[in-house]
Amino acid sequence: MVDASTRSRPAWLQQYELVGKIGEGTYGLVFLARSKLPSNKGVHIAIKKFKQSKEGDGVSPTAIREIMLLRECDHENVVKLVNVHINHADMSLYLAFDYAEHDLYEIIRHHREKLSISINTYTVKSLLWQILNGLNYLHSNWIIHRDLKPSNILVMGDGDEQGVVKIGDFGLARIYQAPLKPLGDNGVVVTIWYRAPELLLGAKHYTTAVDMWAVGCIFAELLTLKPLFQGIEDKSTHNPLQLDQLDKIFKVLGHPTPDKWPTLNNLPFWQTSRQRMQGPKNEISVLHQVVQTSQKSPAYDLLSKMLEYDPCKRISAAQALEHEYFRCEPVPGRNALVPIQPNDKVVGYPQRPVDFSADFECSGSQPPQMVTSSHAVNNSAAASVTAPRPMPQQIPLVSMQRLPPYGLAGQAGMPGLTANNLSVPRGPSQPPHQQQFRRLN
Amino acid sequence: MADFQTSSHHDRWILNPQALVEKRRGSNQRAIAALKKYGATRVEVQADGSLAYPGAPIAEDGPVGEKLPEPLVVDEEILIQRFYEQKIQQVCAAFSFPHKIQATAILYFKRFFLNWSVMEHDPKQIMLTCIYISCKVEEFHVSAEEFGKGIQQDPQAVLKNELCLLQGLNFDLIVYGPYRSLEGFIFDMENFFHAKDEAFLEKLKDLKEAAIFVADKLMLTDAALQFPPGQLALAALQDANLEEKAVDFDRYLRSIADRQHEKLSYLELLECLNSVLEKVKSVRPVNEDDVKRIDRKLKYCRNPSLQDENKKRERKSKHKTKRSSQDAE
Repeated sequence: MVDASTRSRPAWLQQYELVGKIGEGTYGLVFLARSKLPSNKGVHIAIKKFKQSKEGDGVSPTAIREIMLLRECDHENVVKLVNVHINHADMSLYLAFDYAEHDLYEIIRHHREKLSISINTYTVKSLLWQILNGLNYLHSNWIIHRDLKPSNILVMGDGDEQGVVKIGDFGLARIYQAPLKPLGDNGVVVTIWYRAPELLLGAKHYTTAVDMWAVGCIFAELLTLKPLFQGIEDKSTHNPLQLDQLDKIFKVLGHPTPDKWPTLNNLPFWQTSRQRMQGPKNEISVLHQVVQTSQKSPAYDLLSKMLEYDPCKRISAAQALEHEYFRCEPVPGRNALVPIQPNDKVVGYPQRPVDFSADFECSGSQPPQMVTSSHAVNNSAAASVTAPRPMPQQIPLVSMQRLPPYGLAGQAGMPGLTANNLSVPRGPSQPPHQQQFRRLN
Repeated sequence: MADFQTSSHHDRWILNPQALVEKRRGSNQRAIAALKKYGATRVEVQADGSLAYPGAPIAEDGPVGEKLPEPLVVDEEILIQRFYEQKIQQVCAAFSFPHKIQATAILYFKRFFLNWSVMEHDPKQIMLTCIYISCKVEEFHVSAEEFGKGIQQDPQAVLKNELCLLQGLNFDLIVYGPYRSLEGFIFDMENFFHAKDEAFLEKLKDLKEAAIFVADKLMLTDAALQFPPGQLALAALQDANLEEKAVDFDRYLRSIADRQHEKLSYLELLECLNSVLEKVKSVRPVNEDDVKRIDRKLKYCRNPSLQDENKKRERKSKHKTKRSSQDAE
């Protein structure tokens, strides 16, 4: 007897041998598979399955963003989208990526909980340099990632690319060259611990500086194995003002002043936050104590430039790559996991847990919390994928203003779709105009 | 990437005229072959991703007494496509969508129907899905329900073809229209001509508006598949300037040829712009009667049973007229 589900299996599934499930999120599931194609037989592939959006709007905007940006990206430090497949049976999309065995969330956790030793300087430096290198590529191509955090920074396991960093998860990324809408319009998105202060204070426009703030937070976390600013998210409000998060930042870096950050007074929530935050307003930074690094060290200098309050003064990825920190010993290398110094110990990191009971298709229709099997659930992250973490959640990424459902019959024309609520002033944002000429040919 | 030079648009979707002819002929021939084999041209995607032709296979010796519908020729396909491309502009204007969205939607539509024949996939539905997906890509979210409501169509009809369209576009979703380049050039002209006085700035503004109008027409031609957005924008400006006489365009073009990093000389650039504008001039307005006639052919190709039903209905209504005239007597 032929099982109906087998019969309707998409033909492309035969390219892969399923290993198991390695992650899940609101968008869908992530699988680990081995390629069966002769060209890269046995190579591990992470396959991210996107379900149809819940709102009855077809392909989710997250999937669209990932596909459109990653189809265009080609850089050693950006995750590689190998293929896109369609399952017409349930109208889902499968994105196939090169598989990365590790991510910074797991690496940091392993050091903190299992080894109780810090990550060696060579590894920290190599990881940071490669993150910046990937980010510089994205920023110079007009892409803001907007959701950098340790679990989105992937590191390749054994193989040709061992120890190479890949920036993953472009579900929230944006092209900022030609925004039709102010970029802030879709709800604030960067996970709260890594969220830049200007966003917390209500800035409407994202800039590349928000990614640099996040890299600063990640840098500090690599040094101390603890998130730098662990604020508690106030989920009761859609308001981007997160007082606890601001409080955590101000306690380490000191309170910002309009003196050092001239546009501070223009930010919507600056006054409110001042009024609502009690206690003395110390302006002195204790960052060097928190990360236990000398204020004179290149590492501290770079870190403090990434955690500069004023986004205009914050160091860029391109500038950071030129920083002295990367020129002094040990210099960063391509394989971040294996130090070149012979006396440095090589740390073996655990492999990503795999739920072997999962199936490509049938588990796809289950809600994420339905999975019961084994250890895989709590700590499974995936290549290019963020599994849900026991940490503050992000605010919904597309806060669409849902219009009330229409009675479909008999209403002619386009009510509710007048110039007022759909058309948008063209942003004044001009790219540097030499960019225009590069389009000529 | 998000820079045209390194984009999928630059690498995979700037095609020469010969390639366009071949692709269109290929799609047209495939649809005609399906018509001969299955008696209908429309294609449906099965759950496993394979394609199915809902028409039943026709026996070797062909259907007795039944005549196959007449298929569309390539030029007719192009005409139908142009008709729906204009519709895209109209729908986007009615929704007050930003210009970028209609440019993206038109390019999606053009690209899709290089790989498929209008006899295989319903151009009207594909057109709607093109607009809907461009809205998603350009971060201008409109729900399927709102969109369906606005065009008085079932949202499901819009959603149904989403995956098929994405696949037909080879998942290359970032496209570059001429409008942003156009703004860049106007901005650059302000500097180049040291625009200071109000009157001149006003002239440039008029030039821009006129050029946008030309660019809209350009988007309806093959130029959009053959030339990079910067050249489309320059061509639109050149053409608009003939009327507006705002600037010494020739001088400006020479300066562009000098300043750009690529190897295009002034003369080569001028030649490109001329061939872009020739495309616009060769466009004949779409004649409604032609569209109706071809659309009828198209419907029968896609679904020959309609032809039979239509005949029956004609017979019936003739019968009815006869009877009612008899009644009247």
